[in-house]
Amino acid sequence: MKAPFSEYLQSIAPALKELVAELGRDYEYVSVLSTDSVGFRISISQRAKSVSNQSVTTERGTVVRVCRDGRYSEAAFNEFDPKDVAGKAAEIRRALDAQTEILKACASEVYETGKLADEPLVLFVEKEADELPERSDAEALVRVLTEMSDRGMETIPGALDVMVSATSTHVSKMFLTANRDLRQSYVFTEASAASYAPNAEGDIKFAAEGVSGCAGPEIISGLDAKIDELAEVISDLVRAEEIVPGEYEIITEPGVTGLIAHEAFGHGVEMDMFVKGRALGADYLGKRVGSEHVTMHEGALCDESVTAYAFDDEGTLAGDVIEIDRGILRTGICDALAALRLGCEPTGNGKRENFAHKAYTRMTNTVFDSGEDTVEDMIASVKYGYLLKGLDSGMEDPKHWGIQCIINRGYEIVDGKLTGKVVAPVIMTGYVPDVLGSVTMASRDRRVDGNGFCGKGYKEWVKVADGGPYLKMKARLG
Amino acid sequence: MFEMIREKLQGLGAEAWEMTETAQNRWEFYYIGHRLDQNRAVKVTGTEVKVYVKSEDGQFLGNAAQTISPTATEAEVDEILKKLVFQAGLVKNPYYTLTDVPVTVARKTDPVDVAAIARDCIEALAGVPETETQRINSYEIFVSEICRHTLNSNGVEYVCTYPSTELEVVVNAKKEGHEIELHRIYHSGTCDRERLAKDVARVMEFGADRLEAVPTPKLGKADVLFSTWDACRIYEYFADKMHADYVARKISDWEIGKPVAEDVKGDRVTVRVLPELPNSSMNMPVDREGSVVYERELIRDGVAAAYCGSRQFSQYLGLEKSSMVTNLEVEGGTLSEEEIRRGDYLEVVEFSDFQVDSMSGDIAGEIRLGYLHRGGEVTVVTGGSVSGSMNEAVKQMRFSKEREQYDDRLIPKVTLLAGLRITGAE
Repeated sequence: MKAPFSEYLQSIAPALKELVAELGRDYEYVSVLSTDSVGFRISISQRAKSVSNQSVTTERGTVVRVCRDGRYSEAAFNEFDPKDVAGKAAEIRRALDAQTEILKACASEVYETGKLADEPLVLFVEKEADELPERSDAEALVRVLTEMSDRGMETIPGALDVMVSATSTHVSKMFLTANRDLRQSYVFTEASAASYAPNAEGDIKFAAEGVSGCAGPEIISGLDAKIDELAEVISDLVRAEEIVPGEYEIITEPGVTGLIAHEAFGHGVEMDMFVKGRALGADYLGKRVGSEHVTMHEGALCDESVTAYAFDDEGTLAGDVIEIDRGILRTGICDALAALRLGCEPTGNGKRENFAHKAYTRMTNTVFDSGEDTVEDMIASVKYGYLLKGLDSGMEDPKHWGIQCIINRGYEIVDGKLTGKVVAPVIMTGYVPDVLGSVTMASRDRRVDGNGFCGKGYKEWVKVADGGPYLKMKARLG
Repeated sequence: MFEMIREKLQGLGAEAWEMTETAQNRWEFYYIGHRLDQNRAVKVTGTEVKVYVKSEDGQFLGNAAQTISPTATEAEVDEILKKLVFQAGLVKNPYYTLTDVPVTVARKTDPVDVAAIARDCIEALAGVPETETQRINSYEIFVSEICRHTLNSNGVEYVCTYPSTELEVVVNAKKEGHEIELHRIYHSGTCDRERLAKDVARVMEFGADRLEAVPTPKLGKADVLFSTWDACRIYEYFADKMHADYVARKISDWEIGKPVAEDVKGDRVTVRVLPELPNSSMNMPVDREGSVVYERELIRDGVAAAYCGSRQFSQYLGLEKSSMVTNLEVEGGTLSEEEIRRGDYLEVVEFSDFQVDSMSGDIAGEIRLGYLHRGGEVTVVTGGSVSGSMNEAVKQMRFSKEREQYDDRLIPKVTLLAGLRITGAE
C-alpha cells in the first residue's frame, strides 16, 4: 500500500502558503518545512518492557527560513493556528527582530549569502509500505519480540539478558516556498537484538545485531534469524583476548566497511565544512585519496534504506553522487546554503535532527562499490592479520584526516586461514589516504545497514545508512 | 492542553499516570569565523504522557508513553490516551508504584534572560585573543529557557524553570601551510564568560602544540593522565555501576558495603549525587519522574554506599529514597596535582572521542594531542590510541586533591590511570 501523506499537513498547507506570502513582504526568500512523523518504539528485555508511540524520529512542527540583506534566519515552532497566519507572522518577525538587536549590539558581521533558487516544482511522493507503524498490531509485536528475547536467553550461552527493540516511523514532510510545493511520505523501520554475558574474569561482553530498511514493521520478523548469529558472537566475545597493538592486514566485513566509509570520507566531504575551512578534502578534489579498488557513492537514492527520502529538509531533490571514483576524489555532498556559498549545486544532503534544528550537510547512504573478489580468496591472501566484524562507534577528523573506529571483535588470520583466535575490542586508527590507499581487494557482494544514528561532532543526530563489500586493507589496530 | 489531558486521564481507569509539559524558548547563533552564518529562534512545547495499567492479578504494571503535540485536536488526544491505556496493558513488568513523596520546592522559577545570556556568549567569544596562527574557526551558541511542569496521579506536582547554555567552539592552528583543528563543547546554566575565555585560550595553546607534535611512539603500556573534560567519562563509569538499572539488569555486580575493586593500591573514590552545583545546567530539585534529588553518597572511600536510578528499578532493589543522577561530585584524592605529575606519563588533552564503556569497562580513544613526559623531558605527540580496562585501572588510579567543574560534574583536576595500552603512530 501507499504510505498516506499526513492529513494534518494537508489541512494546514493553505495557511502555511499564506504565511510564506505574508513573510514574503518583509523578506527576500521564505521557505517552510513542516513535519508530521508518527511511529512507535517497543523495547523488550527479561527485566523491563516498554511501549512508546514516539521515538527520536517522530515529530510535528514547522520551521520557517527567511533571508534579508544576505542574512539567513530561521524560526521553529510547533503551535500553529491556521486561522491566525498574521499573528504567527508577527510573532516570527518579533523573535527575529529581537535577535537582530542583540547582533547589532554585539556588532556582529554577517556572512552575506545570495538568495536561494526557487524554481517552480511540484512533487507528491507516497512510498510503498506493507504495514504502517500507526496501525500496527502492538499486541502481536510485543508477543513476537518477547519470544525473541526468550529464545535468546535459551540460545545465547551465559546471557544475562537479551534486549530486543523495534522502532518504526511514518515520515510526512512538506516543503513550501512561493514557487515550490513538495510533499513526501515514507516509512522506515529498524529492529535490533542485543545481549551481554560475563567472561571468565567477570568482565561483561556486549554485542548487537539488527535489521533495517525503508519499509514498514513487517521487516521486524527478520530479526529472529539474527538471534542465532548473536549467540555465536557472544560465544566468541567471552573467549576473546587482548590484541597486540600494531599494523596489520585486515579484512572488514560490510558493517565495518560502512563505518570506514562513514568516518573516513563521509564526514570528510560534507561541504558545509569546506565553507568553514574545516575539511582537508577541499584541497584534494581531483586527486588520488585511495587505491583503484575504492569507489564510493553517497545519496538518498543509493539504497532503499532508513534514509531513502525523495527530497531533503531544504527542498532539494534526493541525489546519488560518486564521491570517490577508483581512488580519485571527485566531489563532496552539499546542503543548499553551503552550495550557494561555494558556487556549486546542492546534492540533496541538507538534513535536520528534526524541524526545530538547523539544517547541515549530512550523510544519507554512504556506500563503497563492490569488487570482483570472493571472501575466501581475500582471507587466503592474508599472511597475518584479522577479519574485523561488528561496529561499536567511530569519530572523524576531517581537518587532519585521522580516523577512529571502535570495532567489536577481530578474528585472527595466519597464512591464509582463520585460526579461531578472537580479539576484542579493536580500535582501528590511521590516516585516511593511507588506509584507503592500502585497499587491494573488494568482495562481489555488499550490504547496507541503517541501525543507529550519526552526529555532527557530538550533536545533531540523524538517521544514516552505510555499507559496502568486504574490503582488504592495512590499518593500525590497538 | 495540560489541563485537558489531566481531565481526560481522570476518567480512563488507569492504575496511574504521569505527565510532563516541557516548554523551550531557545536562541541560536552560528558563526563562521566571527561572521554570522545564521540566527535561529525556536519556541516549542510538548506534553509527554505516560499511562500505567495493572494486570488483573495485580502482579504486573505496564506503561506506554507518547508526547502530545500542542496542535493535537481533542479527538486526537482522546484516541491517543485510549491507545496508551490499551498498550500499557500489553506490558508486563513486575509491579511498582509512582513517586508519592511530596515535593518541598514545588515551584522553582527564577527568571531566565535568554537575550542577555546569548549576548554574553557572543561577546565572550568575539573577545578571545587570536593570533596569525591561532584563531577561532567557527562557533555555535544555544541558549535556552526551559520550563518543566510535572504532575502524577499521586498528586506530586512541581514546576521548574531553568537556563541551559551550550557552546560548540572550533579552534584552528596553522604553520607553514599545515592547519589543524581542535573542538570543544561547553555546557552550563548561564554563560561563564571568564571561564569560557580562559578555556578557549588554553585550547588555542593546545592547537599550537599539535602543529609541533610527532607521531606517538610505540609505548606498549604507559600511565595516562587526564586533565580535561574527558575525565568525566572515567567518573561516570563509577556512577553508572551504582545505577539501580545496571544492578537490576546484572550489568553491575557492585554490592552495598563492599569495595568496588579488590587490591586497590591507589586512591579510593568517593562519588556523590548533588541537587545543586554552581551554574550547572542540571540544577533541578526533582528528576524527570518527580523524585526529589537528595544529596547522597553512591561510593564512599571505594566502598559501594547507595544505589540510585529510576523509580521502577529502585523499587525492585527495595530502595526507599532514590532518584536519577543529575549533578555528580567526586572528592579529591590524597596527592596534589604537582605530586601526581612527578614521574613518567602520557597526558592526553585531545582525543577523537574518548570512551569508557560502563558495561564492559573498556577504555578507548584515538590520541589527537598528548604530552609524553619521560625523564624530565616533554614531547608533544599525536596519533595512535589509548586502550585498556577500567575494571583493572581502578586498582591503581590516582587523582588530585584539586578539583575542576565541568557543568554538572565536579571532579579531580587530574586523574592518572596506570598501565593503559598505547598503540603508537610511528
